[in-house]
Amino acid sequence: MLGVGLLMLGAILLFALIGPVFVDTDMAQPLSAPPRLAPTSAHPFGTDDAGRDLLAVMVAGVPLTLRIGFLAGAVGLGIGVLLGFVSGYVGGKVDTVIRGTVDTLLTVPGLVVLISIASTIREEISVNLMALVVASLAWMWPTRTIRSQVLTLRERAYVHMAKLNGLSTMEIIWKELFPNLLPYLAANLAGAVSWAVLATIGLEALGLGPQNEPTVGMTIYWSITFSALIRGMWWWWSIPIIFLALLFVSLIMIAAGLDELANPKQRKAA
Amino acid sequence: MTAPSMRRALLETRGLEIQFDTRRGIARAVNELDLTLYEGERFGLVGESGSGKTTTLLGLLRLIEEPGRIAAGEILLDGVDLLKLSDEAMRRVRLSRIAMVPQGAMNSLNPVIRIGDQMRLTILEHERDVKRDEADDRIRELLEMVGLLPTVARLYPHELSGGMKQRVCIATAICLGPQLILADEPTSALDVVVQRQIMQTLRSLQERIKATVLLVGHDMGLMAQFVERIGIMYGGKLVEVGTVEEIFRNPRHPYTQLLISSIPSFETRGTFKSIPGAGLSLLNPPGGCLFHPRCPDVMDECATRAPTLVQLQEDSHRAACLLYEEGNHAGTT
Repeated sequence: MLGVGLLMLGAILLFALIGPVFVDTDMAQPLSAPPRLAPTSAHPFGTDDAGRDLLAVMVAGVPLTLRIGFLAGAVGLGIGVLLGFVSGYVGGKVDTVIRGTVDTLLTVPGLVVLISIASTIREEISVNLMALVVASLAWMWPTRTIRSQVLTLRERAYVHMAKLNGLSTMEIIWKELFPNLLPYLAANLAGAVSWAVLATIGLEALGLGPQNEPTVGMTIYWSITFSALIRGMWWWWSIPIIFLALLFVSLIMIAAGLDELANPKQRKAA
Repeated sequence: MTAPSMRRALLETRGLEIQFDTRRGIARAVNELDLTLYEGERFGLVGESGSGKTTTLLGLLRLIEEPGRIAAGEILLDGVDLLKLSDEAMRRVRLSRIAMVPQGAMNSLNPVIRIGDQMRLTILEHERDVKRDEADDRIRELLEMVGLLPTVARLYPHELSGGMKQRVCIATAICLGPQLILADEPTSALDVVVQRQIMQTLRSLQERIKATVLLVGHDMGLMAQFVERIGIMYGGKLVEVGTVEEIFRNPRHPYTQLLISSIPSFETRGTFKSIPGAGLSLLNPPGGCLFHPRCPDVMDECATRAPTLVQLQEDSHRAACLLYEEGNHAGTT
């Protein structure tokens, strides 16, 4: 499971990294090829209404999507780890405040918040800014799940023993608890990244993404706007969707594979 | 052997009071405890479940957690009141001066960290100027001292047996040469053969580093073999203190008498005597002597007047029972 997932993600990364060597990403700009071409040997993924070569768009767009996804996922998880550990380990009033805030924010539909933020700063939005916008909502779920993990870990006998042996709180958190949570955090990262990619694509498909860069979500947006589906331009909408499907399947398999490692209950009997 | 009273006191608690604020009222888990441990001695604290033994140990380390608190008293280690130290100073006392051998060695080691790394972490936390390989040398030495191969340092806890884990815990406890080792039923999860080996290891190490050991448990047989003096706790109070011989040959407090007659032995066959009644509720303790509702020698006075520890005829033997207080000599055995 984990292996297949990593292999798929690796293939997508390879496509994004090596692609620019073989494909001229300038072809992702409008009017660089004849418009509305079905896939041919010259344009394997076809071209869109405005004359963008879709292979070039994917080569340019997939790394951007991945960058936003991993950046937002990592930032979100980082905040989640920090708050989750503080909330779970310190407990008391701090815990009440953090938990209350997270629970409240989780009831707000994320996409609505994202849409309002993104539409406000629509003009100057860049890829990194986009990642931050998505990250602003990506930390709540990790905070909650990590907090609950820390709650069970901090009552383990070896944590008590560490206290009895005079270890400081920071030492206990980083040297005793953190190693126990690593596989769990890795699984969480895969989850956070796929959530961030989904949110990003959602925004881009609504036309709220970065305007000057050919992203995967933007391609979906254009294909919707120019009615690619009913005009029979199947390559326009199917290619970005295939890429996203591959990405999501690989992330889900990685998360599930890591969960198998981290969670003895999921571990199959050998 | 010098008489206990001639030795220098290492640890003294005076009127130690540990309370738990619960929804249904205050539970006095440790109740005006006056305990003196002399340098280099092995002292056993015995009592039934809920009598405050473990709470006392945690109290000595100032690790009572909410809703519990140390409400009153002093804990003097070498004359310094631990209750007056800053949190940081107290943290440094733990392990370096007072170490604890835990009850469940099975779970007391971090499952994802190698034995050597765990021990090094604790050593370096206390002695920051120690170099990594110096610490590793010491760890190898410590593991040999507790009868393990130095290669154990490279293993993970799940690769060790229960007895080996307890040995690792003992090695960790002595790694900074503490003056006082607290042992909370260190052998409760082990079979008797391993139990004996562990207690022998603990004893030889204690004699080697000249530490004081405070052993907590309810296994009277184990106590009799290991310790020099015994304290009996009931309901958070010390009811009798004396040397092993005094306590076993001539128990004075009715609770101690019942406790000792309930020990199974090869000589006396037949049904065991058990102590009548159930353990007391700390939330709603009886008035007067805490033991009077279960006591076979109960007097009218017991329900109203609480006894204090009084010196008996012998040198160090003391008991808290109205039978032995002024004017009540009628009940002596």
